[in-house]
Amino acid sequence: MKKIKLTVNKKEYMLEIKEDTRLIDLLRDVLGFTGVKEGCGEGECGACTVIMDGDIVNSCLVLAFQADGKEIITIEGVESEEEIHPIQQAFLDVGAVQCGFCTPGMILSAKALLDKNPSPTREEIRAAISGNLCRCTGYNKIVDAIERAALYLKRGK
Amino acid sequence: MGIREVYKGRNIDEVLELLDKYRNDCRIIAGGTDLVVHLRHKRLNPKVLVDISDIEELHGIKKEGEFIEIKGATTFTEIVKSNLVNKQLIGLKEAAKSVGSPQIRNRGTIGGNICNGSPAADIVPPLLALDSTVLLKSKNKEREISLEELFLDKGKVNLKENELLYSVKFKKINKNQVLSFSKLGLRKALAISRLCISVFLELDKSKECKRVKIADGALGKHGVRERKVEEFLLGKRLNEETIEEGAIILQEEISHRLQGRLSLPFKKEAVKGVFKSAISKALENLH
Ligand SMILES: Cc1cc2nc3c(=O)[nH]c(=O)nc-3n(C[C@H](O)[C@H](O)[C@H](O)COP(=O)(O)OP(=O)(O)OC[C@H]3O[C@@H](n4cnc5c(N)ncnc54)[C@H](O)[C@@H]3O)c2cc1C
Ligand code: FES
Ligand code: FES
Repeated sequence: MKKIKLTVNKKEYMLEIKEDTRLIDLLRDVLGFTGVKEGCGEGECGACTVIMDGDIVNSCLVLAFQADGKEIITIEGVESEEEIHPIQQAFLDVGAVQCGFCTPGMILSAKALLDKNPSPTREEIRAAISGNLCRCTGYNKIVDAIERAALYLKRGK
Repeated sequence: MGIREVYKGRNIDEVLELLDKYRNDCRIIAGGTDLVVHLRHKRLNPKVLVDISDIEELHGIKKEGEFIEIKGATTFTEIVKSNLVNKQLIGLKEAAKSVGSPQIRNRGTIGGNICNGSPAADIVPPLLALDSTVLLKSKNKEREISLEELFLDKGKVNLKENELLYSVKFKKINKNQVLSFSKLGLRKALAISRLCISVFLELDKSKECKRVKIADGALGKHGVRERKVEEFLLGKRLNEETIEEGAIILQEEISHRLQGRLSLPFKKEAVKGVFKSAISKALENLH
């Protein structure tokens, strides 16, 4: 067993983990953040995307011990208790959610983009979500939603 | 997975000490974007893992006299963002940008790309075309060899069990030189490249090739320098005819190298377009 300390959604955890635990297993099975989805388990689909120290990563390819000392944000850390996040609102308003499997990862990729670049072009949005596969929507609606989310976020300020 | 011990390396000395102690039982993990997939498929079965992804000394790109040095655990995202990877080095930036997805580029490293030894490692051809060397460190030793010498076979690199790839170095590129990159992927965003070519080019006053170095990926057991094509182009002007003839020589080389492979007919056809695109990108970016 290995002792690690990390912050998930602003809360600090001290944990003992098995050496070969992946970050996705730690987040889902140990800490209960089931908004992190496992699709391919090999870095191809992006369903397991989380934000680690400000950048998106595939949590299926990070071993949990590597995340020692890191700050992680999952979809659960994006919404507050009272209301959903403007990006989530935009996804609902535009109809960018169908089965919803890709949505948490998509929203985190969108958030990492908008945190750094509040007015992205459609091309920049497409590049930012190019590691997130969606079998349902054909992506246009998702790009629309992220464009709209950028407006919501600016208005909110 | 039979992993018994994991270490989050804090500095180089500690890592070299661990590598020396555990030897063959031990593996370095950087971004994990190759290694974790290998573990999942049980292609590798290390007992000890040493993480180098957060060692500051192993990150970054800097000028060292007349050289540029890229540290071993520098990520593709860091390469794309670096100011030192400028317009002349566009091929290095484009290669880094072409890798996987944003998530993969945020974690995947230059050292991992090289040491994994995949024939399709995208950062390798630009580095070969730059005549790069690699600095390898172990507990009481360091050695510097050419990147080309590092590749032994498919998936096999000339790295001792206690060695760490510390950095990659190449000569700074002049205003009248350029490095280009062109890649053919099967899917737009996500595809281990099936074919890529990088060209280093310098023309003299009469527009003849003064220096030309060409390397490709996924057209052999590892990244390969195409010396026959280089020799042919040297001292010639690049026009439709010479480029076409260069492409034909490249096709011949590949036919020879990939003899009997199912992918040969496709690659032989495709390589022509990728070669021409790499050459024209080089010419575009020279002024
Ligand atoms: C979905 C997906 C898409 C991908 N797309 C591409 C692509 O388009 N192009 C491409 O080239 N690759 C691609 N890859 C492969 C991979 O991302 C790259 O090869 C990456 O550079 C590996 O780096 P890493 O730091 O993640 O290596 P790791 O997985 O951490 O390590 C790989 C190997 O190198 C060794 N190693 C790592 N660093 C060092 C070091 N400094 N010294 C000595 N040994 C070391 C490790 O022990 C291990 O054997 C893709 C992978 C995935 C999962
Ligand atoms: S589950 Fe991690 S990328 Fe698909
Ligand atoms: S909404 Fe179903 S996968 Fe994207």
